[in-house]
Amino acid sequence: MRQRIKAAKRRARAVFRPRAAKMASNPTNTTTTTITNPGPPEAESEIDEEFVTESITYPRFMIPNLFTGPSPVVDVLETHTSNLQQETVKVCLPFLSAEDEKTKYNIHGVPNLYRKSHITFLRRSIGPMPAGFITADASRPWFLYWALTGLSIMGDDVSDLRQAVVDTARSMQNESGGFGGGGGQRSHLATTYAVVLSLAMVGGEEAFEVIDRRALWKWLSRLKQPDGGFQVCVGGEEDIRGAYTASVVITLLNLPLDLTQESPAYEADGSMNLLSGVPDYVRRCQTYEGGISGQPDSEAHGAYAFCALACLALLDDPRRIIPKYLDLPRLISWLSSRQYAPEAGFSGRTNKLVDGCYSHWVGGCFPLIEACLRPLDDSPPPAGDDATTPNPPRKPRLPPASESLFNREGLIRYILCCCQDQSRRGGLRDKPGKMSDSYHTCYVLSGLSSAQHQWDLTAPAPTLAAGAGDPVWTVLPYVDDGGVQVYEQEDLVRPIHPVYAIPQRSQEGMREYFLGKEGF
Amino acid sequence: MPLQGKAAQKPKTPSTDASPSNPLPATAPTAQPAPAITVAERTQQRTDESRPFEAVRRKSGLAALPDEDRAAWYACHFARSLPAKRTRLPPKFQRELWRAVNDAGLPLRPLPRTYSWGIDRSGQDVGRYPTPRFDERFAKRTRLTELVLQSKAFRERRDRLRSGSAEAGDIITDSDIQEERLRRSEMAKLKSELYGVVPEGGFATDPEWDDVLPLPVEEPEGALATISYPAEYATAISYLRAVMANKEYSARSLRLTETIIDMNPAHYTVWLYRASILLAMALPIPAELAWLNAVALEHLKNYQIWHHRHLLIDQHHPTLASDPAAAAALAASERDFLAQILAHDTKNYHVWSYRSYLVAKLNLFADPAELRAVDVLIDDDVRNNSAWSHRFFLVFSDPAASTPGAHATEHDPAVPQATVDREVAYAQEKIALAPQNQSPWNYLRGVLVKGGRELASVEGFAEGFVTGLEGKSGGKEDVRSTHALDLLAEIYAEKGDRERADLCLRRLGEKWDRIRVGYWEWRRKCLEV
Repeated sequence: MRQRIKAAKRRARAVFRPRAAKMASNPTNTTTTTITNPGPPEAESEIDEEFVTESITYPRFMIPNLFTGPSPVVDVLETHTSNLQQETVKVCLPFLSAEDEKTKYNIHGVPNLYRKSHITFLRRSIGPMPAGFITADASRPWFLYWALTGLSIMGDDVSDLRQAVVDTARSMQNESGGFGGGGGQRSHLATTYAVVLSLAMVGGEEAFEVIDRRALWKWLSRLKQPDGGFQVCVGGEEDIRGAYTASVVITLLNLPLDLTQESPAYEADGSMNLLSGVPDYVRRCQTYEGGISGQPDSEAHGAYAFCALACLALLDDPRRIIPKYLDLPRLISWLSSRQYAPEAGFSGRTNKLVDGCYSHWVGGCFPLIEACLRPLDDSPPPAGDDATTPNPPRKPRLPPASESLFNREGLIRYILCCCQDQSRRGGLRDKPGKMSDSYHTCYVLSGLSSAQHQWDLTAPAPTLAAGAGDPVWTVLPYVDDGGVQVYEQEDLVRPIHPVYAIPQRSQEGMREYFLGKEGF
Repeated sequence: MPLQGKAAQKPKTPSTDASPSNPLPATAPTAQPAPAITVAERTQQRTDESRPFEAVRRKSGLAALPDEDRAAWYACHFARSLPAKRTRLPPKFQRELWRAVNDAGLPLRPLPRTYSWGIDRSGQDVGRYPTPRFDERFAKRTRLTELVLQSKAFRERRDRLRSGSAEAGDIITDSDIQEERLRRSEMAKLKSELYGVVPEGGFATDPEWDDVLPLPVEEPEGALATISYPAEYATAISYLRAVMANKEYSARSLRLTETIIDMNPAHYTVWLYRASILLAMALPIPAELAWLNAVALEHLKNYQIWHHRHLLIDQHHPTLASDPAAAAALAASERDFLAQILAHDTKNYHVWSYRSYLVAKLNLFADPAELRAVDVLIDDDVRNNSAWSHRFFLVFSDPAASTPGAHATEHDPAVPQATVDREVAYAQEKIALAPQNQSPWNYLRGVLVKGGRELASVEGFAEGFVTGLEGKSGGKEDVRSTHALDLLAEIYAEKGDRERADLCLRRLGEKWDRIRVGYWEWRRKCLEV
């Protein structure tokens, strides 16, 4: 009996596949939304006669053929890049087509989020690590950040980790300011960012007071460069990660903006401060493709796009500052190009492969982009300080997006179908065939959160220079008008701050604590 | 007090003798080689020898002993207990007692009834060793003691020299250090064999590092994400911390950084320290570059390497200012090396970022070899977007033919029109090979904008990849490149033909690039503005 059902399934698939391809090339049959009527397959009348009896018993999932067949335009010429791309599609398709008989799918052919095993995976990731992990010796703070962020997104309370995070953070702080990868390592902006955000997530005065803000401020002054950017550590490279992570730390901890005299960017006339020139530096990283590179003159890359947008959004109202410093239409075009079918996840660069971590780096750009397309309430269109506006206001205002600028259903499908390690190991991954790790677990979940939520800026934000409050971000679960929700309601994860990449409550808690402090 | 004296050489009948002159137990009937006995058995024999009447007494009581033996036993027993009794005996009595003891020839101090030989490195009781194996172990221990003493003498001599309190003859030559090194490695080997002590990293046993007090990393209790470091790594790091704290810039600290980089190239701190050693000691940069080449090939994914290389070139370049030939040679050797490393991963982000730095630093924008190197990669894989990006940088960021600081997506009047023509032709030629390849389309659009050309200047070219859009020209709709359709939408909008622009965008969302429908719909809204 069981055997016969299996055979029927296989046969059904063999026949349906070419049909899917045919549908893709048939303009009248293609729809941009999912197939909405449940039950028997749509367009049943088109199915070959001999096939009808079988297809009635066939447990069909409602998966748009967009995700189960090749894309309609494929070149003949084979190169290394296209071979890798084809291999990746081949690896992903069985997962996207709900073909694994051991997996439980919903009617949309999407499995549940294996929340419990991912929580176990992240909890274990901050426990003791075996000797094979010595190459992670300089990134231990990241393990904290990835785990705490991922756990918070999944709704797992992390306050039980407070004391351990506090003790660990203390052991990584240097007297000369900032946090290194571990005891005895020099301070680095990436690890400092990871530690500060981890402390914000466990919260509480003891956690906040670990940070020696005066020393941190002095150290940041030494990293500040005359061109507006930041070195990631004293004597280290200058890149856009430095600009983003420094801006996060400065704003979250409410640090003074003055530079010490030791700063390479110090000017006796006081014309430079910690945040001067940061937007110009970010602007220099935009490339001809529209995306953002790690440092000026390199290739556009997804991770740096998020750093650039989030960095700008920290310095001023994103609706004003992002269009002012970046060529927004080109950037949106480039970001949108990162999503390919049928995989439906994001790639990091033109002609590179899909990778779950870009669910955050690229996916996380869209809340910021969508926010800056919506008009500022009541307030007149941003005037800008004309003389210094790099993008002259000759361009017409861009309209808000009526529906989502990226394919949320596709991203959610890629995440739930392709990125989950379904074994007892748990965790999320780059793509099928790769091992899960805490980096991917964090950023894939963060991307899932972006895809499931809709962010809005409800009040105009005065600039930092004016010293007033923060932009007010509000969030609701995203509802696709007339569309379907392909994930189960229980798999809705928590929202995550679109700029600070931690829960909003954690960000507010830390920011408020330091706003209330006078001096160091 | 003579406690054994000649008595030991006059054994009483029931005793056995295990002294070297007569190794066989008295009970052994022949002179055959002794059967292999264990150390514990031999000890038992000796214990029994030291208590000749013990067995009989235990079994049948003192009364069973012959009178003479019984008297001897009493005498010995009494003599043994004397020190504890603190009794002053008359001298005569003492003399009589000791004579009796001597005549009895019994060992005055019997060996303890139980004796532990301890356990060896694998947890085995040493007492169970066959005697030859035990003797071998004993010889090793003797040797180790000897070495420890010699090593101690070396350290003391060294300390005296360091503290300035040297005595006559206190010198340490290179051969002394070499000898000490050998000695320590022999000691480490012996310790490992005897006691299972894991040999420490080279630093702890290297006499060159004697003066450094390592600073081990101490994790607080309950710390998160701790790593159980291999002993060798932990030792090296503790020495690194010590020399960094002292700001020591020396040949040995340079070697130390190399050891650590080999184990963990992602340790950014050690790279920064290595760079400061090189600077402080003014070491030759070319040698360092050569070393770095090998490291880079071994650790292809690592990126600290590339920042280090950046620092080296920053340091080295000014010295070549007056020597164009040397600068050209550097450029050529760097290019060779980059080709080698890109062969492993043609899109390695950090390698390409370094390459753009190098071009700017050595002003290689107009170097035909650089453009050719990129061409080779594009010819090899026309979808290599990193190579396309680098080409754009070479052509449009050349300070001799562009405006410094011009934005990447804006018109730059300083770019020669001939260059624009050449690059447009180049991109079109590559698009023809694989029209759905986005890299040259992005490039083409970028070139047009830089050159201040209307997008419509490539309208005919783009239309070549799209036919019969929604049956407009009667034929079947065919799109060989969604990027062409995207560009056409812009071109039509630029020309004010909103309807055709809208059609392109609608067809992209409906059919040709459905995954991006949200974006295409937004683009349609943009047309209305």
